Order: sequence, then structure tokens, then C-alpha cells
Amino acid sequence: MTRYVMVVDQSRCIGCQSCTVACRTWNDLPLDIIYNPVVSEGTKGTFPDVYRTWTPTQCMHCANPECVPCCPTGASQQDDDGTVWVDYEKCMGCKVCVNACPYGMRDVSHMVPRFDQYVRKCTFCRSRRAQDPAAEPYCVATCHQRARIFGDIDDPESEVSKLINTNYTERIFTELGTDPQIYYIPEMGGGAR
Amino acid sequence: MKHHYWEAPIVIYLFLGGLGGGIFFLSALFDLIITPGAGPLFFAPVFFALAALALGCFFLVFELGQPPVFWRVFTTKTAIIKWGAVLLSVAMIFGFVWWASYLYVLGWEWTFGLAAALEGIRPIMLGIAGIAGFGIMVYTGVMLSTLKAHAFWATPALPVLFTVSALSTACAAIALSLGGAVDVNVIGAVVAELIHEIVHVVDIVLVVAEITVLLIMVLSFYGAGNVTAQAVAKRWVRGKTAPLFWGGMIFGGLVLPLLLYILAAGSAGSEILAPILVLCGGLLLRYLCVYSDERAPIPGEERFYERLPKKDAAFLTAWTKGKNLY
Amino acid sequence: MGNEIDIHAPGVEMRKSLCYFCHANCGVLAYVKDGEVIKIEGDPNYSNQGGLCCRGNSALLHLNHPARINHALKRVGKKGEGKWEKIPYDQAIAEVAERLNQIKEESGAEAVATAGGTTRTDDWARRRFMNQFGSPNGFHNALLCWIPTFMAETCVAGWSPFETDLGQAKVVMLWGMNPGASSLGAMRGYTDLQKNGMKIIVVDPRYSETASKADLWLPLRPGSDSALALAMLRTIIYEGLYDFAFVRDWCQDFEELREHVRDYTPEWAAPLTWLTPDQIRTAARMYAGNKPGCIQWGCTWDQLGTASTTTSLTLALMRAICGNLDVPGGDGMPGPALNFLTDEEMEANECLPEEQKAKQIGSDKFKLTSWPGYTLISDNARRTWGKTLPAEWFCEAHGPSVFKAIITGDPYQIRGLIVNATNPVNSYGDAKMTLEALKKVEFLVTVEYWMTPTALLSDYVFPAAGALERPTIVTHYGATDSFLGGKRAIQPLYDRHTDMTFWRKLGLACGQDPDMWPWETEEEAYYHILKPLGLAINCYNDFVDNYRMYYPPLHQNKYVANGGFWTPSGKVECNSSILRELGYAGMPTYMGCSENEIDDPEVAEKYPIVLTTGGGFMPYHHSEHFQMPSIRYLYPDPYYTLNPELAGKLGIAEGDWCWIETRRGRIKMRANVSPEIHPNVVYCPRGWWFPERDGSADLDNPFGCLESNTNVLTSVDDWDCDPMGGSWANRGLLCRVYKCTELDHEYKPSDAQWSIPGDSPEPGVTVMPSDQHLAREKVPFEVPEMEPAPEGYYRVWQNGQLYQAGTHFRLDESGWLVNPRTKGYHDAYTGWRYDPETELLVDDETGKCYDMAREEVVFVAGVRCYPGQAAPYEVPEQLTWNEEAGYAQLNDKPYVYDPASGWLLDPATGAYHEAYYGWLYDGATGQLVADDGTRYTMEYNPIEAEEAQAASATDEEEGA
Repeated sequence: MTRYVMVVDQSRCIGCQSCTVACRTWNDLPLDIIYNPVVSEGTKGTFPDVYRTWTPTQCMHCANPECVPCCPTGASQQDDDGTVWVDYEKCMGCKVCVNACPYGMRDVSHMVPRFDQYVRKCTFCRSRRAQDPAAEPYCVATCHQRARIFGDIDDPESEVSKLINTNYTERIFTELGTDPQIYYIPEMGGGAR
Repeated sequence: MKHHYWEAPIVIYLFLGGLGGGIFFLSALFDLIITPGAGPLFFAPVFFALAALALGCFFLVFELGQPPVFWRVFTTKTAIIKWGAVLLSVAMIFGFVWWASYLYVLGWEWTFGLAAALEGIRPIMLGIAGIAGFGIMVYTGVMLSTLKAHAFWATPALPVLFTVSALSTACAAIALSLGGAVDVNVIGAVVAELIHEIVHVVDIVLVVAEITVLLIMVLSFYGAGNVTAQAVAKRWVRGKTAPLFWGGMIFGGLVLPLLLYILAAGSAGSEILAPILVLCGGLLLRYLCVYSDERAPIPGEERFYERLPKKDAAFLTAWTKGKNLY
Repeated sequence: MGNEIDIHAPGVEMRKSLCYFCHANCGVLAYVKDGEVIKIEGDPNYSNQGGLCCRGNSALLHLNHPARINHALKRVGKKGEGKWEKIPYDQAIAEVAERLNQIKEESGAEAVATAGGTTRTDDWARRRFMNQFGSPNGFHNALLCWIPTFMAETCVAGWSPFETDLGQAKVVMLWGMNPGASSLGAMRGYTDLQKNGMKIIVVDPRYSETASKADLWLPLRPGSDSALALAMLRTIIYEGLYDFAFVRDWCQDFEELREHVRDYTPEWAAPLTWLTPDQIRTAARMYAGNKPGCIQWGCTWDQLGTASTTTSLTLALMRAICGNLDVPGGDGMPGPALNFLTDEEMEANECLPEEQKAKQIGSDKFKLTSWPGYTLISDNARRTWGKTLPAEWFCEAHGPSVFKAIITGDPYQIRGLIVNATNPVNSYGDAKMTLEALKKVEFLVTVEYWMTPTALLSDYVFPAAGALERPTIVTHYGATDSFLGGKRAIQPLYDRHTDMTFWRKLGLACGQDPDMWPWETEEEAYYHILKPLGLAINCYNDFVDNYRMYYPPLHQNKYVANGGFWTPSGKVECNSSILRELGYAGMPTYMGCSENEIDDPEVAEKYPIVLTTGGGFMPYHHSEHFQMPSIRYLYPDPYYTLNPELAGKLGIAEGDWCWIETRRGRIKMRANVSPEIHPNVVYCPRGWWFPERDGSADLDNPFGCLESNTNVLTSVDDWDCDPMGGSWANRGLLCRVYKCTELDHEYKPSDAQWSIPGDSPEPGVTVMPSDQHLAREKVPFEVPEMEPAPEGYYRVWQNGQLYQAGTHFRLDESGWLVNPRTKGYHDAYTGWRYDPETELLVDDETGKCYDMAREEVVFVAGVRCYPGQAAPYEVPEQLTWNEEAGYAQLNDKPYVYDPASGWLLDPATGAYHEAYYGWLYDGATGQLVADDGTRYTMEYNPIEAEEAQAASATDEEEGA
């Protein structure tokens, strides 16, 4: 089986937002739809003893997604490879999945015509991968810092497997039982690691 | 917090759904069990129930991103929203048939035949509508409480609260509209009086119960909820929402009608003002709850969204695609 | 849905392009269908490894943005009114040319100036136009970006050591540089190498994106860089951390330097830099103790105002004495492109008369970066490298002085200004004065993508072709020996034209010689540049498709092979002779930045907070991209950064709009309250304007270009500029900060009040530019007495050697000229090159050869002939010596005997014939063919016809 996941190396991320903008242009998203914000609490500490980390976020493509069973139309669904996506042909825009997502990673745009609003979310660039099976999601391809790494966790030889097996990783809100599939290698402080 | 995904239409829908469901449930209870034969007295309340559900459905569909394809809601088996939609439809269809069978009370001759034809199935119709109505009351709360992303919603207290509130508002609506459009004396003023009495007492109980459940829920979140739920509770108890909660919800929507019910029984204050206050309280409760959709933020998320432009930022609309300036 | 576009569908062509939004010029793959770019993505096989930043990813939006200027616009209303007539491009060119020629006739060519911003490729075309037009007054933001540093470094070691060889470096110092927000490709490299053990030292007052990943972060007081650099240099020298052998063998005047920096102790620097002596020592030890190491150039060095070149000179010396120059893992010195044409060779500098050079504005004050300094450095480069650095960028008018000249007529009136690829109000210092100059200049032409404040005030606006519409090359301002290229994805849309086309068309319309503009397209020009490489290409696009980049074989330690550094003395000059000749000190002497609390206590009393401006920040680039909604959405408002402690003191909360005020004016920005900066420092990002507004509505502040523009705060007064390079003051200024109140929230006309000098409380001109003094007095210098040079030669005072005028070849003791590029000898009388292989003189222009008596030597079919002489080599017996022609031949066959190979050569075909029967050698089969067609093996055994046929048939099959 193939199970796609993403590893985010926070020790490499510098918060440039390239992935955020890249995603918007590649997917031609309305302005108010952001699939993958790079968030940060800002600089912490007292000058000059300060630190800062960035958290690139996106749909967690949970193994146990909240947003799929709640969908009344079956538009919100999950592929066998773990990709959670919304079929725009089926969605009616009720936003129950939007409310169900604990990560705030779905929304409808308010900048498209009223009554033409469906739920949008990250699909791990499903159509891009369908066109070219070797392609990575665009946010991964465009990341200068290679802070985002995409791959098959069921393949022990894949880069993501190796990273997850050899690094301490964290995931967000695991307590909700969603089993999110974005693995974070946290920043452990400046300097050579 | 990005923004509220669900807004006013959903507030109204949840209120009207609960109200309509409650009226169906209570009507069935009275007509079929407590005071059999009181059917015509419930002609007006059921009309309001139907109107409430229809209006609620309108707001629900209006809130959709793509209203023309609302029928897609029926295309899966399991989703809770789908069950809500089914219950609404069932309640409205069966309730309507029951109500249509009493149209003769309006004296329209063309409806006499209808009444005769439907007379036999009235109990079944109202029975099904009543059960569906009960389902709707519970469903409005359950739907929010299953969305565990929102800590303030994800509590079993919420369905209880919504159900109690729905029943309470239904009592109020029945109190206001019982026997409307019919000549009560013809059917039985005694029965009407009896129902008024029962509804009066029941609503007192329900209001007390609602105060209890509401305070337990809010104060327990306030005292011991997780960070997000606690933040919401704090907002309710002593934050931005506090005037609305204490003044509007607790006092205006519950305590004041309770006092009127008890101390001014029989007066217009008890029979008209108090039920109206209860209805307003019910709407306010849905409003407060729906707008308490705080989600635990990913660290830094709030800072990110705070810095995004306001909706009226000039650059958002300064340049239109396809339009060449120079 | 946009993401349904299939880039793999039939009919979609992928074109290798380069990004055009900053100098990193990342590789971009453009997918083109039916002449339309449908998608772009980063090129995974280019140095960016598929990466693209916010700006690069927005290329399609940029291409099709509704606010792009698509047609030539002629002003029909009043200046700034925003009323335009769309006219054909060529008509606009003709009208502008007529006006320029008129100005030239009336006031001289120097009355026309041209302003640029940061580097875009093909700036040589601008210079080519200006040189032929006759004006020396072209300028860019060069002085804020690398050029003064380059010149100072070149004075020390003969070229700027800017190509860091990080792969083998153990430490890199990122000083005043934040690649994490400016050049992401580089940041990735640093990150990767750091994970492999390289140390990163970041010198930055702010806890920047890069500082957040550093091994050592030095949060110095903004602008105190020269004190820190001097203290580190002193520490390295006095703790003996430098490279003793290198200093002994390759450095001149080191002892003088040691004495000179004696007092610059870390304890001396501590109160100036707000660092502890320990921090300074730690940094010095970390850099010098981890050899080899790199110091990456940072923009800050050139934006300190008075202390700019002092700092870069100090750092140049620091890396030199640590032995990090031109070594593996150190700072590589590429030198000019020796294997293809340099930008300088494309500039036609010979067209600009000497008397015009002398008129260059600012060249009397800031000599290092204008004709006086450039001439010394460039002539030296010609003597040492054989080629030189471009005049564009490295030899320019002083931009702010040109703007002042427009307003004051001092030293003379500038009447015409062509602005190409910049918006000076936002990118040059003292924005209010600059805006006034743009309003006042008699004739303003702008070549732009957007309706900028400058374009709005113009008489003509030309639409510029941008990313994806033009081929792009990377040659680092024409100062390196490598070359990277990308194709255009599509031809320019609408009536947009590339910059080179603009200058070419304008040049031709002004009456310039068409032979001087032989290239109609960039592709033709680039092919011309690349031709000398001798690659297997027929056009520029071939180069991109097949090579994409050219790097000369990695050549480090070139100074060893060269026998010295490329300075006049051949050594690293610790006391630079070129700087001294220009009237500056040859060694770095401390100078505070333009405004600081120690030198100007009375200013600090009123403006107690230190301000730093000019830092780059994602997602914008300089003053660009504020129109791009997908970018702007993430960063809609200008935010300045202040420490929570200061914010508390001033009653400022996160997100509050605040005024930031210096002696020159005030701007407003929103507060980003963060401990990433010292409690007495605020950091303002640059560039802000608001293109979404109606520019004509408020001509005091068109498009809000002054409202949040940090350049309102910066200073271009001569005493605030670097006395050598002319950089103006962006960093370490003194300011005060206060919250916008209800009554004082709007930008008022009085806020736009300008003055010269900028810090004058009086509006208008109070001190004429020529009366403004410099920050430092000139140091008198006289060239030592020397034996006069013979005619046609000149003598270099530093080494006493004679050089031929014009070629700059050194006259050797042997009487031969030495070509510095090839190290080959040339005949001193004729200039002919001596070819040691043939022992002949070669005239490279005609290709003819001469013997040592300068008699022409004849070659037939590549074989040297000796007409009228006896055979100088042994002639095989079957051949006869043709004395008249001077070669041996077989009977009367027209073949020439080649004594080197023993074969006969047919001059008509170049084919080989064997020397006994004259049979043709068939290279395809390895057989000999007699005149009658009979074939023979090499052993003269005949081959049967069938056999031969069979053999050739087999060959064909194999060939197929």
C-alpha cells in the first residue's frame, strides 16, 4: 500500500511563505483561500536571548479524518493513498466539514460569486500527481529550503520513512484522535545540529 | 481564529428547527396521549411549527455555498447532517398532512373532502411528525456537539441544553398560539385551559432545567474546561459576551419569564410576555452557541490571520482581471 | 480550476527560462501552449533545485496583471494628471529622440541623465546608448549595492573576492545580509552546509530569519559596523590568528596596518557597537580560527553612509590576512570573463570623450566609484587581467547629486531624465527631494512595468517586457567569468519591448550609427557575447538548450599561477595605493555612521532611538510587487519592528499605526512588537507605496509614495555620504517614534515638504550642493618622481614598470610586450603575438604570420612554405622541391608535402594523400583510393570491388 505523508523540517524553515504563495498560484486559488499558511508565534524571549520557529501548516491528511464522515454528500472523501480531498461536483457548500476540521484547513471562498462556493482544501496536489506520478506536491517542489518532504510512509526506503525513523517528530493535536499525517521535526535551537 | 464559518442563518435555523420540532413533539404528545381529541386546538401551533421548519430550511439552504444543489444532502447514508435533513423532511411532510386535514376549521369548503379523506391517518401522521420533531430537537444539539474541533460545542451538555431549550420555546409557542384560528368554545375551552395549565407548569420546569444545564455547562467550562472552552466560557461569564449572557440570556430569556410565570400567573405578563421572552431567549442561546466556535489554534495561527487584510482593503478590488488600464 | 491545467498534455512546450524578479535569477520552466504560458515551475535541474520564492511563483500574475503598462503612453494632460494617449512604440521613440537631441544641442549631452535601480541584465545597452549620446550621467542604485565594496576590495587585492567557495568552507560570516529573506537559494546552501558542520556567524542588529539559524549572532548597534570590523581585525592581528605565511609572501605594508589598528581594541569598540568585548573576540576567533572561511558580502556595508567603504575595506583586509583569498573554501576572485565578451566590451566606452567624462556629476567628490577611480582601477585591471570591469555600475554619476542638480542647477542643469527599471522616489535616498526633482525635471521618460509615481510624472512612459518575455543572462553585473542563461518563454505581449530594444531603438532614432547596434534581439547580442567560447552552438537558444551555463574550469590559487595579485604592486595592498592616489587614506580609519549618539549628542537628545532601514524582506523586492494581490494579501500593511520594552515605554501596542521621524521627515507604519531587536532600535522595511490608490489625487504624495517610505528618513546630504564611494545613509540613523493619534493620523502636505540639505529645518535650498562638505577631508597625494616614459608608453608609479598605452601590455626587460591575459609575448613595434609553437609572430587581426624579421610567412594548406629557399627539411626522394612555391610536391600533382605528418595535403579540399602515389586517404573506411577509383589497404594491397562494396554496405548498416 501507498500512504502519502509529509515531513516538515522546522529546523530548515525560514518562514518565507514561498509555499503559501506557490500553492495559491499553482492552484489558482481565490485570494482568501490559503491552503498552507506558514505560521509563527513571532520571536520569543528577551533580547538578545531570543528564538523563533515557523510552522508550515496545511491539511494534515489525517488517517482518521474528522472531515470525511461528517460530509452529507460524500464530496469530502479520502483516497486509498491517504489523500483527503473534496469532489467539487458533489459538494454543496454546507461547511460542516469546515467546522469539523480541528486544524482550520478548509474553507469556502467569499471572493467568488455567491452561490458558487464550494469547500476547498489541500489535496497533496492530487491532480498534479495524477498528471505526473513522479511529481511532488507543488509546495514541496518549490521549497528552496527543502523544509517540506513528501513521500510514501509505507515504503521503508522513502525519504520520509527514513526521516521519521531517525528523528524525533511531533504531530499536531493528536489528542483528538485524528491521527494526522504531517510529521514535524521541531527546531531545537540555533547552531549546527 | 480565521472567521466564523457558520453565521446568522445557521443560528436562525437551529432555533427554528428546535422550535418546530418541539411543537410537533408536544402536539403529538397532547393530541395522542394526554388530551386526545385536542387536535384542532393545535392547528395554529402546528402551522407555526411548519412555518418555522420551512423558514429554517430556507435559511439552511441559503447558507449553503451552492443552494441549487441542496438535494445532494440526501446522497449519503451516515452523515449526521443527512439525518437532520431527513428528520426535517419527515416532520414537515407528515405534519403538513396532519395540518391539512384540519384545514376545514377555516371554513373553506373545498377542504372538507380532504379532511374526510385524511381523518383516519391523522394519528399516524402526527405520531410520525412528533417523533421526527423530537429527533430534530436532539439533532440540532448533537450536530454541533459532534464537531469536536470546537471545544465549547463538543460536550454532551449541548444536546441536552438544546433539547430543553427547544421544548421550552415550543411550550412558549404553544402557549401563545394554542387554539388560534379556531373557535375554542366549540371544541372545548376546558381542554384548552387544561393544556394551558400543563404547558405553563412544564415550561416553568423546563426553564429551571435550562438555567441549571446552562449554568452547569458554562461554569464547568469556566472552571475546568480545556484552554479553548475555558476561553469561551470566560468570554461568556466575564468577557465581551457577558452582558448578553447574563443580561440577555439568563435574566431576560430565563429568569424574568420564570418570575413572570410564577409570580404573575394568569396575567398578560405570564401568558404573553413571558413566552415571548422565552422565545427570544431560545434564539439568543443559539446565537451565543454558534458564535462560540473557537477552535484550538495551531501556535502562531492567530497572529497569521490577524495580519491578513480586512475585507475592504483597497488593493483587493483595485485591479480586475481582463481589464487593461494602460 | 487552475490546477486542472495539464502541463504534460500534447502541444505544451517546456522552455528553460530564468526568473527575473531579483538577482538570484532562479531557473524557471515555462510551459507554453499556443504562444501562451500556461504554467511555470522552478527548474529542478538548476541551482535553485526547483525552488522558487513568492515573487518567482507569481510570474504569471505579473505577466498578465491588469495594471501592467502595455502601450507607449504620451502625456496629454498636466504633469501627474494621469491623462495619457496610447501611441505606437516607434512614434514615441521618435518623439523622445527628437527632444533629447534638442536638449543635447542646446545644453550639451550631459544635460540628459538616466536612472536605473538594481541590476537587470543588459545594462550595457544603456551605457552603449549614453556613451554614443555623449552623456556621462547614467546611474543606478549601485552605491547602495556592492559597487563601493567591489571597488574597495579591488583596491586591496585586484578584484572583488565575492564568489564564496562554501563547499569547502568551515565558517561563513553573513554580515548585514539576510539570505533567509532575500536569496533563498543561497540560504538553502548555507543550511545544508551548516548541517554538515560549517559555522555561520550572522552580524545583524535584528534577529533575522538567518540569525535564527546562526551559530553566532552579533546584534550590533545599527551602523556601527566599521567599529566592529576594525576591532575584529585588530583582534585577529594582535592575537596572531592571521595566516603568517600568506602575509609574509603576499601582503604589502602589513606592519603599517598593524600599527594603524593598534588602538581599535574590542574594549574600544564595545560602547560603539553595544556588544561585549567577549562577543567581538569570539567572533574574530571563530572566523579566523576556522580556516578556510568566507565573508559573504552584505548590502549593509554599502548603506552605512559615512562609514561604508571604511567597513568594506576593513573586511577586505580581514579576509586577506587570514589567507582566505582565492583559495579552496575561501573567497574566490573570478576576475573578468577572459573567455567570452565582458559587459565592458559591449559598452562602447571609447565613444565617450574625455571632456564628457570629466563632467560626470559627483565625480569630483566621490571618486572611487566614478571616472577618476574607475580609470585607475580599470587601467590596472587591463594591465593585470587583460580585461576590465564594466563602466556601467562601477563608474556612474552620483544619483542623489543628479537629483539635486535638477533642482538647483548646480553644477549644471539636468534637463532630461530617462528612468528605466526604477522608481526613484522609493528607491533613492531623501524621497521628498527626489520627488521634487522628478516633478521639476523638464523632460522625464520612464520605461516601466507599472504606473509608478515616477511614471505618473513622466512625459512619456514606455512599456517594458519582463519575466518570461525576454531571455535572461546572469553575469553578476558583468564582473565575473561565468555565464548563466535562460530563454524567453514567449515574445513580449502587447507593445512591450525589452530594455535593450528600447535603448537600441532610441539610439538609432537619435542618429547613432546602425553599425554600432548590429543586434536586433537580445539573443543575437548574447550569441555575440558567447561566440568566443567556441561552443557547438549556432544561436543563443542552442546555448540554453544544450549548456545553460558556462563556468571556466575551477581555478583557485590563481594568484600563485599569476605570480601575484592583480594590484598595481602585485601584492595584497594593506595600504592601498589606488585609494591614496585618489586622495583617500589607504588604510581604514574609524568613522562613525552618519548619525550616532556619540558624534551627534544634540541630535540624539531629540531623536533618541536608532533606526535601521533598507533591509530586504519577503515577499517584496525593493519597491516591487505591491500590486500582486496574492503576495500583498499576506503582507498588506507596512510593519516596523520595535522591542516590547520600548513599546511599553511609548505606549504602543501590536498593530498600532505609528509615526517614525528623523530630522528629514516622518513616515507611518504599523507596530510589530517583538523582542528580536534591541530595546533602543527600530527596524523599518523599505520600499512601501500603495499602487492601489489614485496617484493623481494627491500629487504631494502620489500613490502614498512618501507616506510609509523609509527613504523619507534617509539622508543624501554630502556629509552623510561615504566620502570615497558616495553611499548614502540608510542604517543607524537617529529617530523618534510615537503613536498616530486621532488628530495626527493623516499624511499632510506639510509632511511632504522637501529641503536641501535634507536635515535643514528650512524648506527649499539652503546650502547649494557644491557648498556641501564631505565627511572626511581629502588626503593630499603626489605621485613620486619617476623617469619619464618613452612615447607610446606610460610608467606605473607603484612598480616602476613601463606599459604600452592603449593595450596596457607591460614592456618586458627583454624588449617584448607581455599580454597579461595570456602571459604571451608580443612584438613591441607591431604588436604581433609571438607563437612559441611555430616560433612565428602572428597578427591576430589578419591571421597572417611573420618571422622574426617581420617578413610574412606563407602557409599553404596549413603547411609553412619557404619560397625562394632551399628545402629546410629533408624531402623524401620521390618528391621534388618546388623552390618558387617553397614546398615539396609529388610530380606535378597540386598537393603540398607536410613534413610534420609525412603526408601530402590537397590545398583545395584539405584531404590527405599518401606520399608515394598521391592516392587519396578515405577516412571513413581507412582505405586508399587511387585516381582511377581502385581501392587499396594501407599496406598498398588492392581490395576487390565487391569486397569494398560489401565493406561499405556493412558500414552503412552500422551507421544506420
